[in-house]
Amino acid sequence: MSSREDILARCRAAEPENYEMPVLDDIQAIKYNDTQKQFISMSEAVGGKVVLLEERSVDELVRELFPQASQIASNLPEVTIATLNPDIVQEAGDLDGTDVGIIRGSFGVAENGCIWIPQTMKEKAVCFISENLVILLPKDRIVNNMHEAYREIEFGPYPYGTFISGPSKTADIAQVLVMGAQAARSVTVVLV
Amino acid sequence: MRVGLFIPCYVDAAFPQIGVASWKVLRHLGIDVTYPKGQTCCGQPMANGGFENKAVPLAVKFEKLFRDYDYVVTPSVSCAAFVRVNYPNLVKEECLTASKAMDIVEFLHDVVKPVGPLGSFPYKVSIHNSCHGVRELGLSSPSECNIPQFNKIKDLLLLKEGIKVVEPERKDECCGFGGLFSMEEKAVSEQMGADKIRRHAATGAQIVTGPDASCLMHLSASAKRLGINIGFKHVVEILAEGL
Amino acid sequence: MSTAHSKKASAFLKNKDYTAWHDGTFWSVREKRDRMAAGLPEWEQLRDKASAIKRHTLSHLADYLEEFASNAEKNGVIVHWAADAGEFNAIVLEILRAHGVRKMVKSKSMLTEECGMNPFLEAHGIEVVETDLGERIIQLKGQKPSHIVMPAIHLSHDDVGRLFEEKGISDDIGNHDPTYLTWRARLSLRGEFLSAEAGMTGANFGIASTGDIVVCTNEGNADMSTSCPKLHIAAIGLEKIIPNYDSLAVFQRMLCRAGTGQPTTTYTSHFRGPRPGGEMHIVLVDNGRSSWLSDEDHRETLKCIRCGSCMNTCPVYRRSGGFSYSYFIPGPIGINLGMLRSPKDHSGNLSACTLCLSCQSVCPVKVNLGDQIYRWRQQLRDFGTYNMGKKMLSDTLSLGYGNKGLYDTATALFPAANIIPESVIPFRLRFPKKPFHSLIKELEDE
Repeated sequence: MSSREDILARCRAAEPENYEMPVLDDIQAIKYNDTQKQFISMSEAVGGKVVLLEERSVDELVRELFPQASQIASNLPEVTIATLNPDIVQEAGDLDGTDVGIIRGSFGVAENGCIWIPQTMKEKAVCFISENLVILLPKDRIVNNMHEAYREIEFGPYPYGTFISGPSKTADIAQVLVMGAQAARSVTVVLV
Repeated sequence: MRVGLFIPCYVDAAFPQIGVASWKVLRHLGIDVTYPKGQTCCGQPMANGGFENKAVPLAVKFEKLFRDYDYVVTPSVSCAAFVRVNYPNLVKEECLTASKAMDIVEFLHDVVKPVGPLGSFPYKVSIHNSCHGVRELGLSSPSECNIPQFNKIKDLLLLKEGIKVVEPERKDECCGFGGLFSMEEKAVSEQMGADKIRRHAATGAQIVTGPDASCLMHLSASAKRLGINIGFKHVVEILAEGL
Repeated sequence: MSTAHSKKASAFLKNKDYTAWHDGTFWSVREKRDRMAAGLPEWEQLRDKASAIKRHTLSHLADYLEEFASNAEKNGVIVHWAADAGEFNAIVLEILRAHGVRKMVKSKSMLTEECGMNPFLEAHGIEVVETDLGERIIQLKGQKPSHIVMPAIHLSHDDVGRLFEEKGISDDIGNHDPTYLTWRARLSLRGEFLSAEAGMTGANFGIASTGDIVVCTNEGNADMSTSCPKLHIAAIGLEKIIPNYDSLAVFQRMLCRAGTGQPTTTYTSHFRGPRPGGEMHIVLVDNGRSSWLSDEDHRETLKCIRCGSCMNTCPVYRRSGGFSYSYFIPGPIGINLGMLRSPKDHSGNLSACTLCLSCQSVCPVKVNLGDQIYRWRQQLRDFGTYNMGKKMLSDTLSLGYGNKGLYDTATALFPAANIIPESVIPFRLRFPKKPFHSLIKELEDE
């Protein structure tokens, strides 16, 4: 018998009698009067920055926020100032040294500042390897909580998606919170 | 309503004044209370130490002594909790006493519902929320849970004239007695007791009070070790004052 | 009377300042959890649902495992099944050898620790680099984790600073500022991510209905480990499977709130299939779980989502530290998991509990941790590993309490014990002249 068959047989023999799956529709999950306001508040609480695009172009905004940036990575059509394209690079490692990575998020979650980001580029490394991450987010697509979020998520052409809430962080050294562990050191959410 | 009073082994031997106070308060409130003779111990110390089988004969004896009362009331949350939670397992035939067992605080609060004032006690007291009381008998809302806040001990104490009632920081953290734990893990037990009594003392209270004498005994030892001058009284002793 | 735990705890407690810091640090994490719980009116409802979802899933575990594996395979993932730790290690080694891997980066996985994977691979010439900062620190130091979420918490920033200097990770000698040290670790690990040929992750959850695995981190190291190397191996215990996304929402909302007092981890990543030009493997690991499933008294332990909140609230853990426990996971969940792994090796941890039940009051999935410790203590008799001193004391108590005549005589003699110094009896018992059962006669007459 293969391990697979062996394990399944052991589980079947061991399983306790049936417990019903609980109803989940009756969870009184938190809702907000102003989801955008809550989202902004949570994003800032987790160390992110939120700006409104308004009349500017994405290019203009990025230049404004990161005047020193020399390597900019993006595959978004509205970004013309990219010096690297995560669809075209040979290796993920070619994106190392990116000052600003610009990506698109599908929707935001008010309760925790999360943004759902399905992978829409060949090298998802751009989301993590960039020193600074800029996420474009449609401002009218912010749900209340994760229950609503998990009804909304969809995947792009690649089999990966992630919720990102603020910059990478750690408190592993003496419980001191430091922004910028292994991934983005700053996250700027641009509400479009 | 007939109430059987259970005075646990250590209260019987070391803190009989708590038994006396329990008797006094119940009689004052017009309760038909009896102290059935021949009682000794509920079996908790052995069981918590891993020798549940040693508790079985005691449980059987307890069941026989108390089964015909409407309530079995005891001034010890750990004993009441032990009977409620474990006796159905230990007494193989139908166990009547488990559902009838109540610690005296919950009995007074939920069943008797006395109205004040209940004598005078013009002191500042800090409540020691014993673990079995909080998390097994529901004497107060556990600090871990997001439920409406309540404290039955506080409600009863507020019936005393002139009393001031406070709670320490970390209001329901364990005192570190834990029965045989105090012997097996002596260092941790002592540290927990020291930390807890310091927090009680920091409230400025003159007296530490709670529903379980074993916790108070442990805290009293901690106070002595640290040279902290503070009094100890079981909740029912405070209720009995001035009656 | 002492145990393996009590001896180590006693040594730990000799450093009063350190104990106070350790206790205060973990209590503040418990307080953060409390604030999170208070901020969600539905918190207790979520706990009920989480417990019920896990119970349901465990009662149909085989079906859900098959569904998970089948969906993962449809997504192009290669699924392996490991009956035990040895088989898990062998499977991983074979995958790595087939791809000529000499260095693998990995994100945090308690399961790989349980299986002893790192030393096994290193013995076979494969370099394993931990990328969670805390895990990396203890890897460099050659230590075990002292907490499942904050594994390096026992080290000061000076300890870490000196370690990094010694290993050439930092070069500003004497600069032990955590922000500086974290940046130096980032640079060092960046190089590792870029030169590794494989990335391994654990999995917080496996979703049966879609075949995704979900990995939650604050550092982004699971994502970096899988964005650079093209080979991804994910290790997941059988009990981590949950039915669907609706279930996932319940757990995702509680995991970080309970464990660290944050509303979410920075990254909640769904891995559904291999990268373009890459390969993804999932190894489902049993290693005792299917037999724990049959244990009526202890199967509730399988609900655990490894958040760590039980150890943060445990007054004994906070005052004795992770290294006082013999199992690599400490605290209430560690006591229980250790007993399931090997009662012979780990019953020395059973003393580390006052049965205060704070642990089961914080547990987001309502594992009855304290109740199970009580049950394990009863079972010690069967294992023959009970403490002789405790047994003798219990026997003496039973004898006294069982015999009324003996009891009355004993209590009459108790006042003589007043002269015994407190160093012998550790609590302050002053025996009055008359026990209650003598006083009652006067009371009844009144």
